[in-house]
Amino acid sequence: MSQFDMNERGKSASRQSIGFEALKKFSSATATLASIDFQGRLVRRDGFNPVQNDMEGQGRPGWAFEYHNAYLDLYNVLNPLLSDEQRSATVGHFNLRAGRFYVPFGLNLQTDTHGTVLQLSNDRNFGFERDWYTGFWGAINPHVNYDVYYLAGSGYDLKFKGQSGLGAIRISLANKYSYEYGLEGGLSILGGERLSPDAITRRQTLARDAGSENRVATKRVGLDGRYRQAVPTGLLTVTSELSGGRDLSSTVFTQLYQAEYLRASRQWGVSVQYRRFQQEGLGADASIIGEVSWYFRNDIGNSNLHWIKLNVERQLEQMQGPHSTIATLQYYFYQ
Amino acid sequence: MKSIILFMLFAVLAMPQQAFAAIGCTLSNPAEDLKYLYPEMTTYKEDLNEFPLLKDGTELFRALRERLGSDLDPIYETYETPYTVYSVFKGQQKIGVVHGVNVPGKGGVIQVFLSMDPQAGAIRKFFFQRLESPAARQLRSKEFLSQFEGLTLGDFYKHDYYATVDPGAKADKVAAITPPAFDPSGRPDYEASLRGIRKNLILVDFFVYGKKFEPYFERAKQAAEKAKARKE
Repeated sequence: MSQFDMNERGKSASRQSIGFEALKKFSSATATLASIDFQGRLVRRDGFNPVQNDMEGQGRPGWAFEYHNAYLDLYNVLNPLLSDEQRSATVGHFNLRAGRFYVPFGLNLQTDTHGTVLQLSNDRNFGFERDWYTGFWGAINPHVNYDVYYLAGSGYDLKFKGQSGLGAIRISLANKYSYEYGLEGGLSILGGERLSPDAITRRQTLARDAGSENRVATKRVGLDGRYRQAVPTGLLTVTSELSGGRDLSSTVFTQLYQAEYLRASRQWGVSVQYRRFQQEGLGADASIIGEVSWYFRNDIGNSNLHWIKLNVERQLEQMQGPHSTIATLQYYFYQ
Repeated sequence: MKSIILFMLFAVLAMPQQAFAAIGCTLSNPAEDLKYLYPEMTTYKEDLNEFPLLKDGTELFRALRERLGSDLDPIYETYETPYTVYSVFKGQQKIGVVHGVNVPGKGGVIQVFLSMDPQAGAIRKFFFQRLESPAARQLRSKEFLSQFEGLTLGDFYKHDYYATVDPGAKADKVAAITPPAFDPSGRPDYEASLRGIRKNLILVDFFVYGKKFEPYFERAKQAAEKAKARKE
């Protein structure tokens, strides 16, 4: 990936990266038992602008090796304890995940935003879009899936500095609704303590409550949905994530609305996103973002991707500092 | 600004002259989907098949094109395309085979999945995982999908045979399939769906059934060659 960005005052930044993904499944004679996934990349950063897809990059100038996904899935983990009848009744119900993956809140768990410039709201909402966690996922019934996890709440690095961690539950529509009706959606609940220097820096008064380790008592409830509709010339998708809760004693409210059009040839698309993160006593960060994409390859399963994107973000409200306009040009290749 | 110009130059130079992707087709939620297809199942296993890794892979890939009877798509039907076969078990007994393929449609990719009997190779259920088409509603109708239940690859090869020697034969099960009523704009996706079913059956015959339907293909091929010779 090669990305260049610049704000209206001429401050420029760039990020170059080359990486890999390793996915391996393990099977017995009659069952697929487990899989592991690891994404790593070598990154070079020069300068920094707060572009959505690199909010964690501010602290890593120059060369860095980064990991992204790093997790193990064990499928139908209760099978060794069950009879054939019980296995039949519970197939797909109890899968275990351990490692680093998208925070199980909102649509990010079912959306691959690894390469995209436009992101969903978790990074801004929690200070990280991926975390270290373990727990169960699967189907409750043919209509509804679940995810139940304990998260370390530490973001990029797995570390414990006195935080209790986070508990998260997500209930979402089964995939058949996406394929048959173009509809995805879910309800997420998350609570506990996370480490978030950004949240503390934003409000020094909160630092007194948090102590010296940037621990933030966190509560969130979120509702999300995405609807995909074929139109005569392509595909129209509308997305929304809404969440409310508290960071320490401050109430927070996050909104994200996005509309995308993808040409039937899957060769080009346009997107627009409005996002707003409001925190009690501090005001809000809000942006409107437009993006044009040209795809050389745009595999529906995200296994073969090759594109150029031009993304322009206009900050409408800022808790701190002046409003900026940031233009980002991205070249991305994944095979 | 200089770096942006350099980047744009790099991007233009990097533009591919043609696509050469290798794109597979997998179930989005295997456990849930397979349980729906085989309620009595206890476990399932995924096996990845790739022509480059198969013995005689080059020959099999050439054979796919010949048996399909049309050119292969440079994006969805390359030599490197991976194919995931799902084997479904009840205890130690194999009770089903499920496989999906991508075919290019008018409104985008169409993902055609078949569940099959593990011994006979007959279709138990045909369904679309992904279908973005003006005729999506009609193509997903139970009346249309159920017409394929019980058909085998042999029936498609027999269809080729009858088309040559006895058009309209009552024994031609594929010719008896009635397309749903749709706007003319939906026809390309209907035809792409039929092609997807045939491609799916051919691949599973290669990967799972040991080319058991080859005699039907050979018979149809000989009939076509004889007809061509007569014309000449």
